[in-house]
Amino acid sequence: MAKKLNMRKRYELLTRGLGWEPTYQSKEKVFSNESYEGIKITDWSKWEDPFRLTIDAYWKYQAEKDKKLYAVMDSFAQNNAHLNLADATYVNALKLFIQGVTPLEYQAHRGFARLARQFSGEGAQIACQMQSLDELRHTQTQIHTISHYNKHFNGMHDPFHMHDRVWYLSVPKSYFDDAKSAGPFEFITSVSFAFEYLLTNLLFVPFMSGAAFNGDMATVTFGFSAQSDESRHMTLGLELIKFLLEQHEDNIPIVQGWIDKHFWRAYRVLALVSAMQDYMLPESPMSWKEAWEIYFVENAGALFNDLARYGLRMPKYHEQATAEAEHLSHQVWGTLYNYAHAASMHFWLPDEKKMDWLSEKYPNTFDKYYRPRYEMWAQMAKEGKRFQNGGLPQLCQVCQVPMLFTEVSKDDPMQISYRSSEFNGEKFHTCSDGCKDIFDHEPEKYVHAWLPVHQIFQGNCGGAAIPDILNWYHFKPEDGGDYAGSADETRWKAMHGETTGAASSDTESAEEKAAA
Amino acid sequence: MTYEITIDPTGDTIEVEAGQTLLDAALRAGIYLPHACGHGLCGSCKVTVLEGEVLHGDASPFALMDIEREEGKCLACCATPLSDLTIEADVEEEPDAHNHPVRDFVGVVSKIDTLTPRIKSIFLAIEHDGIDFQAGHYINLLIPGMEDTPRAFSIASPPSERNLIELNVALVDGGKGTTWLHNELKIGDEIRFSGPYGRFFVRESAPEPMIFLAGGSGLSSPKSMILELFEHGETRSITFIYGARNQAELYYRELFEELAAEHPNFTYLPVLSSEPADSGWEGLRGFVHEAAREHFGGKFAGHKAYMCGPPPMIDACITTLIQGRLFERDMYMENFYTQASKDAAPKSPLFKSI
Repeated sequence: MAKKLNMRKRYELLTRGLGWEPTYQSKEKVFSNESYEGIKITDWSKWEDPFRLTIDAYWKYQAEKDKKLYAVMDSFAQNNAHLNLADATYVNALKLFIQGVTPLEYQAHRGFARLARQFSGEGAQIACQMQSLDELRHTQTQIHTISHYNKHFNGMHDPFHMHDRVWYLSVPKSYFDDAKSAGPFEFITSVSFAFEYLLTNLLFVPFMSGAAFNGDMATVTFGFSAQSDESRHMTLGLELIKFLLEQHEDNIPIVQGWIDKHFWRAYRVLALVSAMQDYMLPESPMSWKEAWEIYFVENAGALFNDLARYGLRMPKYHEQATAEAEHLSHQVWGTLYNYAHAASMHFWLPDEKKMDWLSEKYPNTFDKYYRPRYEMWAQMAKEGKRFQNGGLPQLCQVCQVPMLFTEVSKDDPMQISYRSSEFNGEKFHTCSDGCKDIFDHEPEKYVHAWLPVHQIFQGNCGGAAIPDILNWYHFKPEDGGDYAGSADETRWKAMHGETTGAASSDTESAEEKAAA
Repeated sequence: MTYEITIDPTGDTIEVEAGQTLLDAALRAGIYLPHACGHGLCGSCKVTVLEGEVLHGDASPFALMDIEREEGKCLACCATPLSDLTIEADVEEEPDAHNHPVRDFVGVVSKIDTLTPRIKSIFLAIEHDGIDFQAGHYINLLIPGMEDTPRAFSIASPPSERNLIELNVALVDGGKGTTWLHNELKIGDEIRFSGPYGRFFVRESAPEPMIFLAGGSGLSSPKSMILELFEHGETRSITFIYGARNQAELYYRELFEELAAEHPNFTYLPVLSSEPADSGWEGLRGFVHEAAREHFGGKFAGHKAYMCGPPPMIDACITTLIQGRLFERDMYMENFYTQASKDAAPKSPLFKSI
């Protein structure tokens, strides 16, 4: 009997030979995006397939994962399991997820589909093809998981439309637009390494363990289903970096530049997650700062100790991100509270129990800087003078977050940090040294940024008054504002047999909304 | 209760305790299996059970599908054995690895030499057929009264000497085992050991020139390997850089100098890190990685590198080699998985076995 081949050889035989040598056109023309970024690939055969999966097996696995997930979602719906949530305020985390994260999965699907076409190495093509399909599956399963909540709560009715227009959603959208409009190697370094490898736990753990802590088993199950794909994506990110570094020494400075840039870009996107994690979850598994310590400081630290052997260093300004961990979520949440009237989710002031938890988790900063602010706003609200910002904020030209970050690393945490650059006689504003560096490296790119505030002032967003703009966003009047007195709160209390004195004008029952 | 696992396609056999995961047992035996999350969620460590039965433990239903369970797949990070097993795993077959069964031996001390103030050479005579091993293998020595924790020593003599093996024993400060070997062991004593063990060996089928980097008592394996290569008429270029603190600690210098005189394709470079400036030493000074960088002009691509020595030396050498464009697939070293390495600082998954 012939000797059995090992798994690697079998996989090689199943997949190799897919890399055709073109004869009608030159290889450079067929893979026209592969060289302009300056990356040098000398030997694609050195690419090691991180997961030896054939498309045939892939379909089988994914079909079974879906079957399991949809069974849980069905039973969740049949049992009206949303009634078991710790509190309806939790649903706002899902609103952020469906508006902010799910459309990114779709963007990732498109980006990887392009890479599957543009890389000439067949190992990388297949890995990207599978990841593209994974991302589409994640988009669909997230929509299906969260659609159950859309029957009972507001703000989740048109996430893709919102993603393209809304001011706070331009933060995640612009990050992916930036990566997708770059070359294929920069895209994959950005998404697979900086985002999926370095920072994915900081995105997924808060949402998924938040779901587990607050009784949302459907989302938890989605999380397990996605995680079995996510580990393949993380491995791809790592394999890619190693491959680029080993292929040619000229790749090292290019890759370092991309890691610096996309670490900072992705970190700025996570500012929204930090606020969700510390403020939106009725029961909090861990604070943003704790998550940052474990998932970035420790894990990325160990990785960069190894990458240092190749001549890579930690991403630029990582110390600043670590210093900001003490402040980030409080600054973002405060800003969101200021603009609650222009959001498709609810924000609120933390109650005493939550503030005590925040004091415990942030002993150096919360009581000193942020508790007094919340107490003042609570007092104002009690006096009928609920604080809100009537103007529009200045946005950072790169990350598109309102100018809310402060000079934490200069030991001046109450001073807003402003940077600016001149380009073609015009002035452009950025929120930090990290974003300014990114702008200065490619100003031609970022002058084209679609900044929601500028667009409103230019008259491109449905009108001049806030209701016109919200209508253009497809927000309904009951979608935003404070949670207290909201239609969501009224419904939640009705579901639990409680009545509120302050029933809102929107009194449709959950059943009616479901039927609508 | 202990079970035996046979790993296809390499045919390695390892022991696993009831309740111990297959992954843990493999890593401790020095066999790298692909893995990532370590707790049943990602599916990176999937293996096929060809014979025997396992408990699936906490394997997530999304990481290990029902269809896969029916096909005999399991996740090595969660699965525990219920019987002896044969598994098929994604491990590379090593055409140059010799598989010798592990056996128990009794050796008789036939000679003890003092090599340096802190290193002794102990020769053990073995009766009958002697021991079959591959250069780079080690044995586990059972020191009387300390049989529970066998001491591992690499064999310093070449495999052609099957009835007389040489061990180089460095005295460890406060080390009970090495103190006993230095002070109590006498010529004529009998001592028990088992072996051979290990996965550190020369890739004889690889055409590339070889670099051996060693320091301190890490000379044993390279000595066995180099002696064997020249016994077989080696023609590839071999460079051996050996680091010691000073001349007194430098041993087997004459042996390697004679070898270098005999074979033009062999270069021997001893390098001393704290030799007094006025000692008259005319050789290289500094650390092994510095001498290597200097000698090769910082460029290592196209070689195979073998390393043996104290962890800081290995660490510095790996970095120097990678900076000189020689990567993990072309470097080899002995990995001892111990309880200490399990509790060590978090290790990134960037490298498989570094």
